[in-house]
Amino acid sequence: MSDLHLKGPEELNQDTGAHLHKEVKRVWRKGAERLVLDLAATRCMDSPGGAWLLKISDFLRKHHARLECQGDRGDVSDFLRLLAPALTSSPPLPRKRTGIFENLGGVLIAAATELRQFMELSVDAIYWTLIAPFEGKGFRFNAFVDEVHEMGVRAIKIVCLMNFLMGLIIAMLSAKQVESFGLQIYVANLIVIGFARELASVVTAIVVSARTGAAIAAELATMTVQEEIDALRGMGLNVSQYLITPKLLALIVSLPCLAVLGLISGVLGGGVWGVLVLGFRPSVWYTQTMEAAYMDDLTQGMLKTLFFAVAIVMIGCHNGLRVTGGSRGVGLMTTRAVVMDIFSLICIDIVFAVVFYYILG
Amino acid sequence: MEKALIEVRNLITHYGDFRVLDGVSFDVRPGEIFMIIGGSGCGKSTLLKHMCGLLKPTSGEIRFNGRNIADLDEEALSVMQHAIGIAFQSSGLFNSMTVGENIAMPMREFGEVDPELIDHLVRFKLSLVGLSNAQYQMPGELSGGMRKRAGLARALALDPELVYFDEPSAGLDPIMAAGLDELILKMKGLLKTTFIIVTHELESIRLVADRILMLDMGRVVFCGTLDEAAACEIPRLRQFFDRQPDEFISQRNLD
Ligand SMILES: Nc1ncnc2c1ncn2[C@@H]1O[C@H](COP(=O)(O)OP(=O)(O)O)[C@@H](O)[C@H]1O
Ligand SMILES: [Mg+2]
Repeated sequence: MSDLHLKGPEELNQDTGAHLHKEVKRVWRKGAERLVLDLAATRCMDSPGGAWLLKISDFLRKHHARLECQGDRGDVSDFLRLLAPALTSSPPLPRKRTGIFENLGGVLIAAATELRQFMELSVDAIYWTLIAPFEGKGFRFNAFVDEVHEMGVRAIKIVCLMNFLMGLIIAMLSAKQVESFGLQIYVANLIVIGFARELASVVTAIVVSARTGAAIAAELATMTVQEEIDALRGMGLNVSQYLITPKLLALIVSLPCLAVLGLISGVLGGGVWGVLVLGFRPSVWYTQTMEAAYMDDLTQGMLKTLFFAVAIVMIGCHNGLRVTGGSRGVGLMTTRAVVMDIFSLICIDIVFAVVFYYILG
Repeated sequence: MEKALIEVRNLITHYGDFRVLDGVSFDVRPGEIFMIIGGSGCGKSTLLKHMCGLLKPTSGEIRFNGRNIADLDEEALSVMQHAIGIAFQSSGLFNSMTVGENIAMPMREFGEVDPELIDHLVRFKLSLVGLSNAQYQMPGELSGGMRKRAGLARALALDPELVYFDEPSAGLDPIMAAGLDELILKMKGLLKTTFIIVTHELESIRLVADRILMLDMGRVVFCGTLDEAAACEIPRLRQFFDRQPDEFISQRNLD
């Protein structure tokens, strides 16, 4: 005979259930097919008690046996009926995590797909921004103005402050280095050339990518999660035209302006150090600065910002639209957008440095 | 008469300048299924959020087991909230965890549940709402109705004394909705759980409600049993039960 018999406790709850579970393990013999649990004495049970029954049933199933409850009545019968679906089904298998990182091929394919999506989105957005308006297709001017205000005007303070402090710090450090040669006046040259070619545009772009790039990614990601993007598409509207175009154009306009303001602030920062600490007369410092300032440096520096602007907006939008899985996905994609922004800024910067100062020279 | 589990007295609340609830009073008795009905936008979800202490009323009181919620300090409020299971209108599942972890979370955080048992308890709760197979899925991968059921499973995780359930059957197929009604009745019978349910489903009101409260324009139109409701001649209530449209879709939010 391969049946085991056990009596249920008077009240099946967390503690008595644990006891019952131990009891089952104790009486368990190899080859038994059935455990009969006599619940005639059981008056009531609760959820943890039910969970213990599940656990016992799982234990038996693993050993190719089954649990049978007998003699239950009243509330306990009702409860067992609630429990029945869970008792009879075997537990679902935890999902195997086959991440894309398991094989290199997967990574490459994923990267290639993403690059293709990114290019498609960018081409689409650039078409809608630069070409479509001239073909008489709509352009959301009001949205554009709002975006310029949000991305440009409201960023002025932080951009100016950052650049001003950078100018101050660089003047401070470099003046110390050249002090023994008595060349401190050339700090003015250093500041103006450095900011015009490199620092104003990069510092500004980094501030803007942390500010605006993150905001764009978070906004589009939330819209995707809440089916707003689907709603837009369902109305027959083009996402690039409706959402991306105003942002793209707004940043293309604002970022160079911000960078020019950044340049002025940076040079001012250097000037403040030169005049107040190094003790040059303002007119001397001013003349020196103006002599070192070349329009070429400025154009090259500012040309970069156009590319920065496109990169920041497109990376933000791209990551925002790729989001999956709700609020957590929004956070992940926003982080990713900012990281990619900053990385791409450096890449663009390197390309410019190579082309303008190394090749064209 | 039995002592009330929840007493709401003269509750007035605002969102900014907009008065959502305008002097609402009623009682909920222990062990009953209390259904709140009313047009969408009339303040039902807002009322629920006040009753679990998530929002503070402008004036009026809400007593839970005789204690005014507004007077509770943070700790006492938190203790009260452990006794309440809430299933929100848009489920409120945590997106960063699997469905199973969502349900295990309250057990881990507050319950005196044996850690060994949590996995099986989760399976039990999920099987109650017919989601056994979704244990290892992420909420983002579920349909609206499935998410709603998972939300209920989480609300039931600690066998709460009181369950708030906001529009349970919206987004569910009729079979599932009927199953849910049955589950609610069983929970009431077995665990003496009190349910406060916001719903629009006439069928389920007729089947499970002990008493109903009807809100309109932020006021109580009717509060009583089903039989009383059937006999009652209040036009708004009749309109609801007979599914009659307004002459115009009223523009209440523009006033
Ligand atoms: N966070 C909020 N801010 C301002 N008004 C709100 C907010 N939430 C809801 N409302 C307004 O309060 C009213 C009641 O909302 P709600 O309680 O959600 O209605 P329902 O009865 O459909 O659940 C609605 O008119 C809604 O516009
Ligand atoms: Mg609602």
